[in-house]
Amino acid sequence: MIQLKNVTKKYGNFTAVEDINFDIKEGEIIGLLGPNGAGKTTTMNMITGYIEQTEGEILINGIDMLKKSKKAKRDIGYMPEGVPLYNDLTVKEFVTYMAQIKKVNKKDIKQNVNKTLKNTGLEDVQNKLVKNLSRGYKQRVSLAGTLVSDPKILILDEPTVGLDPKQITEIRALIKDLGKNHTVILSSHILSEVSQICNKVIIINKGKIVAIDTPKNLENKVSQNNSIYVTVEDSNNKVETIKGKIDGVKEIKLVEKNEDGTKQYIVIGEKGKDLRKAIFEVFAKENITIFEMKKSDTTLEDAFMKLIEGGNK
Amino acid sequence: MLSVIKKEFKSYFLSPIGYVFIGLFLITFSIFFYTDVVAYGSTNFEYIFYSGATVLTFIVPVLTMRSFSEERKTGTEQLLLTSPLSITSIVLAKFIAATLIIIITELCTFMYFAILCFFGMPDLLMTFATLLGFLLLAMSYISFGILASSITENQIIAGVITIGFFVATWFLPNLSTSLNNFSLINMYSKFPQGQIDIADTVTFVAFIVMCIVLTITVMQRRKSVR
Repeated sequence: MIQLKNVTKKYGNFTAVEDINFDIKEGEIIGLLGPNGAGKTTTMNMITGYIEQTEGEILINGIDMLKKSKKAKRDIGYMPEGVPLYNDLTVKEFVTYMAQIKKVNKKDIKQNVNKTLKNTGLEDVQNKLVKNLSRGYKQRVSLAGTLVSDPKILILDEPTVGLDPKQITEIRALIKDLGKNHTVILSSHILSEVSQICNKVIIINKGKIVAIDTPKNLENKVSQNNSIYVTVEDSNNKVETIKGKIDGVKEIKLVEKNEDGTKQYIVIGEKGKDLRKAIFEVFAKENITIFEMKKSDTTLEDAFMKLIEGGNK
Repeated sequence: MLSVIKKEFKSYFLSPIGYVFIGLFLITFSIFFYTDVVAYGSTNFEYIFYSGATVLTFIVPVLTMRSFSEERKTGTEQLLLTSPLSITSIVLAKFIAATLIIIITELCTFMYFAILCFFGMPDLLMTFATLLGFLLLAMSYISFGILASSITENQIIAGVITIGFFVATWFLPNLSTSLNNFSLINMYSKFPQGQIDIADTVTFVAFIVMCIVLTITVMQRRKSVR
């Protein structure tokens, strides 16, 4: 549905985005991740036809964005960063105007506008001026403007920035829902958001793609070892001496001493070996009481940091 | 394109700009009506438009300085430029919307015409030539104003560039008579005398087309350097 082939964007000598390639299929929700200035917005701006790439090709449904931009743009709904809106218009006027410039059929405009206002929860404020709305509502108006032409592709640049936690949850749910019948690309700084909503992640750093994969695979890729956190009551300090008694354990390290007298250790094992049962049995034999045992999870955040740091070296 | 014209036209009146423009225009025209026509006991409608043209120099930027600068500053140009509208139709829509404001103000001047009719019929051909010339001058100013607005996101700078350019073309003939043909006001001044000069009309139209084409080029060009 969206194909980028060797796309490069240069400003004079500065290369903002370099040789980007990816292929997004219909119905996917893609998260575009990267530190500030990595090239996320530049990439989105090129896909939407707001700016032109210096080299390479962008195909939307097989249509070249440079050569047939009018046709290619019809399928795209873009919600730019910072929610630009016409402040002098009312919510309904704004959404109607967006429908008109997106070339929605004249006879469908009224129906589309009403449906979109309803879906985005803007019915109550439809006659208010945009400038008098709160940030959360403005975000919704911007989303409504994006959705009103019922585009197949939605491109959302930082859709939850500046919202309160309740609004964030609502917008995320809305995006997830939209993902059922749209192809969505969203950029975000919030990694938990991306791992919740997206089924694929593209990580960009310094204008280059560092990784494209599912959030789960990325987490697995960077999780190098197999370690378990155990919180125990161990008055005789036995834990560190029993390393050899559990098969497959490479190391046991004290992480912290808790105020209630318990201690937390990390047990590092060989890759691919489930140590939980063995730990439980051996610790019980040695009279060490286990209060808590948990696998150390590699989060998308760890994956992200590792990939970005790798690129910076 | 029609939807953009409508929206642009409407936004002149959603902000004070439309009212300020028409208000200033009518106040100054009323003064000229008194000083240039009534005070002389004349029924020459076109006399108002001699001084009117100088006022136009200073108030047209009020209409045009926002057109692209504001969109660029607030980011709304992203909405326009990622829509399936062509840049040409966006530029033309903004130009037409501003021209409509001028036409409305010209229609307002018919009240002076009506007053004069009460005392004696003004020359109709002269009136037509004057209004046509005034419209052409205003359209030239608008097209340049929009061009200025497309090159900067600061509307004050866009306004100053526009006024600066108009004043410069106004006084160019003072430097050398060979620069007479570059003065928009000079070209215009034949119209209130009842002369519809083909050469001048063509020059006006060419100037308008040139500014619009340049604006489109600037907007296209910015796609690759933005």
